[in-house]
Amino acid sequence: MIFLNINNLNVSIDGKKIIDNFNLNINQGEIHAIMGPNGSGKSTLANVLAGNEDYEIISGKIIFKDHNLLDLNIEERAKLGIFLAFQYPVEIPGVNITPFLHASLNSKLKNQKKEEIDSLSFAKLLRKKAEELSISSDMLKRSINTGFSGGEKKRYEILQMSVLNPEFTIFDETDSGLDVDALKIVTEGINKFKNKNNSYLIITHYQKLLDYIKPDFVHVMRNGKIVKSGNISLASEIEKSGYKNF
Amino acid sequence: MNFQENFNNHLKQYIFSNDNYLLKERQKIFNKINLNKFDKKNNESLKNISISDLSSFNYFYQPSKEKPTLEISEKNVYQINLVNGKCPDYKDENIEIRNILIKDIELFKSNNQKDTNDIVADLNLVFLNSGILIDVNQKSKIKICLNYKAEKDFTIFQHNFFNFFKNSEVIIEENFYLTENTINNIYYNINIEENSKIKHNIFQDFASSNKLLLTSNTTCAKKSSFSQNSYNFSKGFVRNFHNAKLNGVFSKASLKGCFLLKDDNVCSNKTHITHNAENCESDQKYKGILNNISKANYYSNTFVSKNAQKTEGYQLSKGILLSDKCSFFSKPELRIFADDVKCSHGSTIGPVDENSLYYLRSRGINKKQAMKMIISSFIKDDLIDLDKKNIDRINKNLTQYLSTI
Repeated sequence: MIFLNINNLNVSIDGKKIIDNFNLNINQGEIHAIMGPNGSGKSTLANVLAGNEDYEIISGKIIFKDHNLLDLNIEERAKLGIFLAFQYPVEIPGVNITPFLHASLNSKLKNQKKEEIDSLSFAKLLRKKAEELSISSDMLKRSINTGFSGGEKKRYEILQMSVLNPEFTIFDETDSGLDVDALKIVTEGINKFKNKNNSYLIITHYQKLLDYIKPDFVHVMRNGKIVKSGNISLASEIEKSGYKNF
Repeated sequence: MNFQENFNNHLKQYIFSNDNYLLKERQKIFNKINLNKFDKKNNESLKNISISDLSSFNYFYQPSKEKPTLEISEKNVYQINLVNGKCPDYKDENIEIRNILIKDIELFKSNNQKDTNDIVADLNLVFLNSGILIDVNQKSKIKICLNYKAEKDFTIFQHNFFNFFKNSEVIIEENFYLTENTINNIYYNINIEENSKIKHNIFQDFASSNKLLLTSNTTCAKKSSFSQNSYNFSKGFVRNFHNAKLNGVFSKASLKGCFLLKDDNVCSNKTHITHNAENCESDQKYKGILNNISKANYYSNTFVSKNAQKTEGYQLSKGILLSDKCSFFSKPELRIFADDVKCSHGSTIGPVDENSLYYLRSRGINKKQAMKMIISSFIKDDLIDLDKKNIDRINKNLTQYLSTI
């Protein structure tokens, strides 16, 4: 089975090409990091994988678990096991976290033809997962991301990931806006969840995040394509001399 | 039937028709409307509704066989079941309830000579045929449920007076059980004395052949508070025009409303708060969801007089448009003559937020369900302070509305 294969992908928005003949293979259990300067197309790639309809796919293929991802809409991709941890999680006042996540999980279970989880069992599961991430039960009574600090929003993204148990997670600059302590809490959460069945694509500007989550591969992205691939030492090189050599 | 025919043919059926003072006042307004001597261009009472919609109708009012009743279901909970604008007479240590007398209207008119340019309020006096007075005694803590029943084809022009004496705490809940083809033009005068706290919840939920036109004028004395919430789930035309005057220091007024519109339904909303004293707070907020070819408007006004320093006044209108052909006109207005105030206004009207939809869908929630979650949250955000029965009722209306999206 092909886990994730992105082949000759070309994407534009408002007539401007953002992703240019992009190619990437990710196998089950692998952690990949994409680094690159501002405007290199990293967040566009994350959104295209999640199914954001604002972008125009000019050509190319994305195969995920033998499915043509480009034939699926946003929610179908999520149900198949794709999870985007947002750079700027949206505040949705009035939509309570608990019933929202309950509905999310059940839609996924239903899609997998598994038995849906009842409210009581879900509440127990959510409390347990929240405790693991040091998230207070008060936070679970609140509306989605409403009034959350930057660190709380990112922790809440990790909580959702942990409940929904996706096979492929994209972290879109999860480290942005986090202080050192918050970054540590968030990355500890990610590491707790990591196992051989789950793959990650980490999008970041800085090496710091990769000190906590060790990637198997590091790629440098410029002008919508990967210009160099390597291991963690590539991140150290970028930290030392920036992107000017790529 | 046109305006002139209604006025001339039914004159004897209006209450207090033998009173010369009132007759003159009615004649004055009749001439103003009949001769078109009013502001038509900037008339907020005529937004989304024409003068002929308001003045041409089949006036019908007659004594009913059904009698109004009063039930005291729980301690200090008064259920007043009005029939065609009439109430039973009642008095105890908390409350006095009676139908209005000519002296009530004369007193009101002598204190309100200024032309407000509000055609609906004018028509209320011209065709006045009913009204109730409720006095709540000092320190009383009660709940009043006013259940309005209008029989088929009735045209009700009602003027109510609510007086809340010092240190009273009252929840008023109003429900409209309108049968078929009724017009209900109801005008309220609400007087809130020192230290009193009043919550006024208005539930509007009736069939499309009915019209409900509400106008309220509230005055708040020192340290009093007035919190009004209207919930409009009607299929027929609703007007909510509510005004409050903060006349005493440290008084508060909140005028809020929400509405769900679909098909070709229309609703017209206006709130106006006048700050006449120092250290007062006001809040005006109307929210609506519109679909198909429905239309709404909301005028909000804050007036801060020269001596009303330390005022806090906020205005907000929010709307979700579910089709390209529905419309929501919003016009906030602030007139400030004091220099030490905190005031703001805002208006956000548009389709469902795409970023919110994307976020929910990216968690496996389908588009329709995500839309419903966002729309429900838009209304549910303001349901604090309501009891379970009313929350269930709003949820039921919301579910019915969402099922048609």
